[in-house]
Amino acid sequence: MKLVEAAAVILVAFVVAPAVRGLWVDLPSTGTKCVSEELHNHVVVLGDYHSFFGQNDDVNYTVSPSISVKVTSPYGNNLYHQEKVSYGQFSFTATETGSYTACFTVDGEQHGGKTVTVGIDWKTGISAKDWDSVAKKEKIEGLELELKKLEGIVQAIRDNMNYMMSREMDMREVSETANSRVARFSIMSLGICIVTSVSQSLYLRRYFRKKKLI
Amino acid sequence: MESRRRLRGARVVYTLLVLLFLGMVNLVSALSVTVNDLECVYEYVLYEGDTVSGNFVVVDHDIFWGSDHPGIDFTVTSPAGNVVNSLKGTSGDKFEFKAPSSGMYKFCFHNPHSTPESVSFYIHVGHIPTEHDLAKDEHLDPINVKIAELRESLESVTAEQKYLKAREARHRHTNESTRKRVIFYTVGEYIMLALASSLQVVYIRRLFGKTVAYNRV
Repeated sequence: MKLVEAAAVILVAFVVAPAVRGLWVDLPSTGTKCVSEELHNHVVVLGDYHSFFGQNDDVNYTVSPSISVKVTSPYGNNLYHQEKVSYGQFSFTATETGSYTACFTVDGEQHGGKTVTVGIDWKTGISAKDWDSVAKKEKIEGLELELKKLEGIVQAIRDNMNYMMSREMDMREVSETANSRVARFSIMSLGICIVTSVSQSLYLRRYFRKKKLI
Repeated sequence: MESRRRLRGARVVYTLLVLLFLGMVNLVSALSVTVNDLECVYEYVLYEGDTVSGNFVVVDHDIFWGSDHPGIDFTVTSPAGNVVNSLKGTSGDKFEFKAPSSGMYKFCFHNPHSTPESVSFYIHVGHIPTEHDLAKDEHLDPINVKIAELRESLESVTAEQKYLKAREARHRHTNESTRKRVIFYTVGEYIMLALASSLQVVYIRRLFGKTVAYNRV
């Protein structure tokens, strides 16, 4: 009985107060707070947000302040935009490589001196996978499902590794071109220095000869 | 009869609970924030004794000289208010500690300089089921412990990869900046050199042009 009670309490805690999961970020009373992540192509992102007042101001989480949320792609496209909400969910698949930003702004001034906190649960890649549907489709459960999750994580690690290797190759090329450029430009600079000084001397010699000084 | 049914019911609940924990306590967060002066994020730790691990890297680097900006300060405060972990003046590091109590932990980044910096961080709270999670009459299935340990090892590999990715992003920014500087500064140098030498010639011409003419006559 005690175990069942404990299980019930914890389940309720996870369901009713989703702010417990994910990161909490304090929002300034004016202005926007943005969080971002650099993603590459074909990455699935799942985001959950929930706004509330901090524990000092509102112990039982009775009031949900309204905020506005905006999610933008690296090229400025608007992926998700909601005004005057206090909780919600967004999901998208990354189509461009770059920094994806989620910005939160507090609506209006009605909160007085209280700080608004947003609980953000930002999941990318393998963490955003819907394991319940996989379990239903393949009719696996319990231990098998856990092992399948681990297999997914390993696959994600491998994919990440390959991606990092290709990035390292790109960066190596940039470094090597910069290296050859430094050498080339320095030699050119030496050449220009010599040319300038020689032309200076020749010009002045011609000038002084014309002025009959030498 | 009644007690056996109750025991079986409890066992089912126990398995479900453990699997729920295995699924749910996988708390990870990887994000970037811009730090103007002080930025704090909070992460909830469910169990006392959980290992909280993570890393952070200062990514955006628009500063001129590398020695100007020593880095940012990082502090972890426990729910009781005492500082658990603290790193000063670094441009990126890994951290790991065992949570002394459950509750809300505060991870703060402090930027001692006026230029805003962008910090990419990753925090992971890992839990391995132990005897303390269960009621007195239940046994701990070793396979659940092993699966949790396996998952934690894989998570540490993932954390390492995220750290490398953030460092690579920072390196890429430095490379781009180097490339731009090479082109911009060398072309500027050529122009300055040409300008300086022509100014020299003009000045000498003027010097000799006025004075000598006077003395010549």
